Amino acid sequence: MTDEALVARAVEGDVDAYATLAERYYGSCARIARRMLRNDADAEDVVQETFLRALRAIKRFDRGRVFRVWLFTILVNQCRTAATSRKRRQLRFTDDETALDRATDERPTGVVEETSAVAAAVDRLDPLLREAFLLKYVEGLEYGEMATITGAGVSALKMRVKRACDALRPMLETIYHD
Amino acid sequence: MTDRDFEHLYERAGAALRAPASGEDAARERMVQRIRAEAASSTTRRGIALLPWWAAVAAAAVAFAVGLGTGRATRPATVSATRGASGAADLAQRPVEFVFVAPTARNVSLVGDFNGWDAKATPMRRTDGRTTWSVAVPLPAGRHVYAFVVDGDAWVADPQAPLAPEQWYGQRNSVVIVASLGDRRL
Repeated sequence: MTDEALVARAVEGDVDAYATLAERYYGSCARIARRMLRNDADAEDVVQETFLRALRAIKRFDRGRVFRVWLFTILVNQCRTAATSRKRRQLRFTDDETALDRATDERPTGVVEETSAVAAAVDRLDPLLREAFLLKYVEGLEYGEMATITGAGVSALKMRVKRACDALRPMLETIYHD
Repeated sequence: MTDRDFEHLYERAGAALRAPASGEDAARERMVQRIRAEAASSTTRRGIALLPWWAAVAAAAVAFAVGLGTGRATRPATVSATRGASGAADLAQRPVEFVFVAPTARNVSLVGDFNGWDAKATPMRRTDGRTTWSVAVPLPAGRHVYAFVVDGDAWVADPQAPLAPEQWYGQRNSVVIVASLGDRRL
């Protein structure tokens, strides 16, 4: 069933339809949140809060909009808020949790190593550049959609993506040439 | 070499990051369970919210400058937030009126955590036919973060209201605290 059909049902109060949308977009939201927050536990909290806020607002959803873009708009703002409040809490457990994840990861070693290396490179980007790179190259969004999601202009986003790519290039060349 | 020559590197990196994370299926299931619990809870609250729930009272007014077209502060504008009050059920929402004076704006909308930061969800209307824009939004008691979007691209905090401590990569927003209906300190 298409997003549009599921959204139409969800607006009418069909929880199953909304749950299907949540299952469909959980992965996308989770990988954006993980990379923006660099902490799996915080990312899961933010993604849950995003879907709950979207659920509360679904009756006001403008059907002329694209559900994914609307959802990502909420997500990006939730990530920004969480990143700021976490900075105030000054949590410093990321390394331990990452190590724990690696220890229990059942994916093939090559996949884990490549993903971890790329993630580490992306994590080094400035948050705004990281956000733009993730939306462009991981989620495959158009610049117009990215502008809606981030509140930034298209030309600013193109510049952020370019700066992100420039910063990543030497690290990615090292990863993929080794 | 041009940027296009390196495009495959970025595409490959993007694909690597799309690989599902360990434990994602369980996290997705937890998410769905929370959605169902929230939906069930919401159904219960809707029954209670049928009680009479508000009568409006006025509150604050402010002066601010916004340069329309450039998004920079150049000219006085006025913003106010009006909190509703009532002696009815504490679980209900109460109206909060947001007012923004922006003489040269073509359109103004309200964005906040209550509407998913959707600039199209809550358009404001000119209330005096010229300079003042307003909209009333029912909000539950608690803390709400918001801003105004002028002409679709200038994101403006309410200068009269407290700023939210969280700063989103340089973007500041405003905070309104909606007291519970049983709170006499309005």
